Amino acid sequence: MNDPAPGQIGYAFALPRLAARLAGHKVRRAEFSRWEAYGLGILVFGMSCVFGARLFLPFVRPMALQVLVLFLLPFAIWLAFLILYYLNFLVIGVLRRLGLYSVLTNNPFQHVVIMALTSGIAFSFLGDECAWVKPLGVFWLGLLSLNLLSILLEKLRHEL
Amino acid sequence: MTDSHRWFHRFAVRGVAWRRYLDFGVTNVPFYLRPVMIFFWTIFFFFFAAPARRAILSNLRVVLPGSSPLLNLGRAWLTLYNFAWTIADAADHKLGKTEFAYEVEGAEFLEQLAAAQGAVLLTAHMGNYDLGAALFAQRYQRNIRMVRAPEADAQTARHLDESLERAGAGAVKVAYNTSSMALPLELLNAIRQGEIVSIQGDRAVAHVSQRAACLFGEEVKLPDGPFMLAFVSQAPIYPLFIVRTSFHHYKIITRPPIHCLRSERDREGVMEEAMRNWSRTLESVIAANWSQWFSLVPIFPER
Repeated sequence: MNDPAPGQIGYAFALPRLAARLAGHKVRRAEFSRWEAYGLGILVFGMSCVFGARLFLPFVRPMALQVLVLFLLPFAIWLAFLILYYLNFLVIGVLRRLGLYSVLTNNPFQHVVIMALTSGIAFSFLGDECAWVKPLGVFWLGLLSLNLLSILLEKLRHEL
Repeated sequence: MTDSHRWFHRFAVRGVAWRRYLDFGVTNVPFYLRPVMIFFWTIFFFFFAAPARRAILSNLRVVLPGSSPLLNLGRAWLTLYNFAWTIADAADHKLGKTEFAYEVEGAEFLEQLAAAQGAVLLTAHMGNYDLGAALFAQRYQRNIRMVRAPEADAQTARHLDESLERAGAGAVKVAYNTSSMALPLELLNAIRQGEIVSIQGDRAVAHVSQRAACLFGEEVKLPDGPFMLAFVSQAPIYPLFIVRTSFHHYKIITRPPIHCLRSERDREGVMEEAMRNWSRTLESVIAANWSQWFSLVPIFPER
């Protein structure tokens, strides 16, 4: 546990860290931000739900059934995530045995897989005809690009 | 019990399988997806852990008199959601060495407790007492002997003991509140040797010394062991609670110490006054943080 000095804030991602620095705040790398945790979590999960709905709803005809599918979909996506974590866990186990992965927790690997999958979903949204699905894909890819750029700028800042 | 029955028992609400699964979760789920995961698991346990849900509802009826039963269902869900967060954070600290931020209310009393040569830390089933004890022990380099109610499942108890001792880097020792006569003597010796003994004083388990107290206008049974220990050892009692305020943020609430000093009055009078003092403290903290009072058994008499 840490007792952060007044005004000191922590973000896990480079983009909000850079934004905070530009706004004149003293910032460091830490998982202290509720906006990151809840905001990104809802965005990733929400995009998966939208992807699932776009995939399955065309096969469901009656309106009542569509409502039922929409209600059950978040639970199905949750279960799909649980399976994904487990499959990744198995892969990480193999990588650890081969000496290719030695980080304390499996979170960094899981993070990379989830980011890659979400970006894949975002790319698929770019070709969607729906008025709000395409901007969602653009929004994600924009965030991702800005975050990658922020990582680069942070690295350069450390080297200078 | 047959092997298959024993295997199945692991999946009971208080079984060890869920604790192990939680460890899996905090080492495999990125931090930003935990709110979603915890949200859905809370829905699952809200239905699966019916006795705990009913206990929370019965406690809420007294803590928030006149509250709507329908709204209380939502409050019970919120309480379970907070409970899930606190046990996930404790596991996260143990396995991922994750940082948590905190603020202190009553910092002067926390400093007094850290400097005390033998004290009773009186807390409740509230917020993240496991994480709090481990971090206090680490930060102030103090040994804590934590007294807990016995777990229903032996494997879960073993898992929790190991977790606490690992999170506290060996400075937190767990003792179970049973009818054994050895425990009070052991705790008394620990206090006399300058250690801090942490006890949850918001609910009395069966076969443990207890007496009637008034909480939210109802008569309840509270453990009187902490007060007995304080009276015999003449050590102060520090009420301390650690509540979750936001993502990876906690608040430590420390209140003025309660003393059970030997005086002209008889022991009973001193003890009763100390328990009244504790009940008032408990009431004020629970009223302000009802969604983090994780007393998952009914405390108040049934109406």
